[in-house]
Amino acid sequence: MPQLRDSSTRAMHERTGMRDGFERIFGIETEYGVSVTGADKAVDAGQVAMTMFQPVVSRARSTNTYLDNGSRLYLDVGSHPEYATAEAADPMDALEQDLAGEHIMRRLALDAQHRLRAGHGDHATIHVFKNNVDSAGHAFGCHENYLVRRFVNLELIEEQLLPFLITRQLYTGAGRFAESGFQITQRADFLDEAVSSATTRARPMINTRDEAHADPESYRRLHVIIGDSNRSQWATWLKLATTHLVLCVIEDAVRRGVPSGFEGLALADPTEANRTVSRFLDDPEAGLAVKGADGEANGRTLTAMRIQRRYFDVVEAFVHEHGDAIAAGLPRTSPEAILDAWRWALDALERGDMAALAQRVDWAVKYRLAEAVRRRKPQVSRTALERLELEYHDVANGRLYGSLVAHGQLRRIADRDAGDKAVDTPPQGTRAALRGRFVRVAREANAQFSCDWTTCTLASPVRREAVLLDPFDAHSTAEFTALMDALRGEAGGVR
Amino acid sequence: MPQQFQQTQHEEQQSGGEDQVLASGAAQQQEDFDVLDSVLDDIESTLETSAEDYVSSFVQKGGE
Repeated sequence: MPQLRDSSTRAMHERTGMRDGFERIFGIETEYGVSVTGADKAVDAGQVAMTMFQPVVSRARSTNTYLDNGSRLYLDVGSHPEYATAEAADPMDALEQDLAGEHIMRRLALDAQHRLRAGHGDHATIHVFKNNVDSAGHAFGCHENYLVRRFVNLELIEEQLLPFLITRQLYTGAGRFAESGFQITQRADFLDEAVSSATTRARPMINTRDEAHADPESYRRLHVIIGDSNRSQWATWLKLATTHLVLCVIEDAVRRGVPSGFEGLALADPTEANRTVSRFLDDPEAGLAVKGADGEANGRTLTAMRIQRRYFDVVEAFVHEHGDAIAAGLPRTSPEAILDAWRWALDALERGDMAALAQRVDWAVKYRLAEAVRRRKPQVSRTALERLELEYHDVANGRLYGSLVAHGQLRRIADRDAGDKAVDTPPQGTRAALRGRFVRVAREANAQFSCDWTTCTLASPVRREAVLLDPFDAHSTAEFTALMDALRGEAGGVR
Repeated sequence: MPQQFQQTQHEEQQSGGEDQVLASGAAQQQEDFDVLDSVLDDIESTLETSAEDYVSSFVQKGGE
């Protein structure tokens, strides 16, 4: 922003490479659940996952690899196939890359199913669930990553971002037929800390593991754990887009040393508030206790809707003031489109318009379907509804999602073939383009290679690596050019 | 639909005023459910398989 470009901040930014506008890097990590039905003999999750990853292992000699679109595909603890999108500069890019992940999982599953049937009968069917909890109550994640300017500290994140993350679930929650009744989120009951460095022993809503995958003096990578896996494209896009705008407001306030407008929303007990929000349909007017100026609960409560309205109002005013600068940071998504979608969601929630919500909001889709089922069969069991919801989440053999889209009951926002295309195409304008190019050429050359988020390494025929520290930079460096030359066996590279 | 959410919706419709609005709202609602019925028809064969087996076969060990 122009008014910030005094000589001292410019000097600092030039030194550290920090962008002083509203650019951001987005990423989504999705863990999938797996199961088999219809097999002659039982197949556990570990077997399914290993069968799916056989082609990956034979190609990469590992269950952890990077793909042509710059993404990471791996087998996580607990036999979860996991897909992490490459660095996206726009929520729409991140959505398309996430859809590519669904395609990749479907291909791996159908291929594995073919092989599995040889030993387990012709009806063996592999299910790959893009959800967050299994039938035994094990929860797993869909994590969002946002590159945030380092000067935003974690205390501010907890006080000013967390209340947003908890209440955004009103329109981003995926819903669940829980034992105690329907909840609008999948995982509220499994998250037990607000902000911490653990992910498996305790379950925080925001993870503080400090791996920037960029210049750590300029940036931190905000690792958001509170969030459901979405099948609704609109929900995936909107959760990233609204969170981005809230972060823009917070960053700008810190930069200028002024209040953000999100003061007074810090929650006294985030875990409790999260569980209350998840039970929104039991009591939409339930109050969430907020902290007073002294950091203690003071008896004041706000409803989830009230908190969302407050965030919306502040962000709307901010967009009116800084719209051009925000738009300059987002290659594809306009700030106004984000506000329109967000406003629409809050209005529909306030009207209690379940039919409208069910065209875009995952939990509402499930809720409406359950109503339709009960019209046919009033005494339907919870197990039957769980069966229905798993069908919705199954990206391999599920038919429910496709049917809802085909009947115009669920809106898509990406082009029909966008996910398919993104399987082979990295998001544009970030270092993912370089990583993707490296992986494709290395794979085609049958070279031994490895990657992590900041490094591309060629192991043979010669050993060479390139470090790509700036995620916003899609331009080749001398080091990267040398790496690619070495890969192609060109004279300049192999010495 | 849970009581309060339903109530909110009810009040909204009433504040919309005329009976006609309510009537067309009800017709619209019926139409929406007809579409959902076609969706359920599409997946009926899938849903006929044992829900118990299907659901209980999905057990992971947890992750993150």
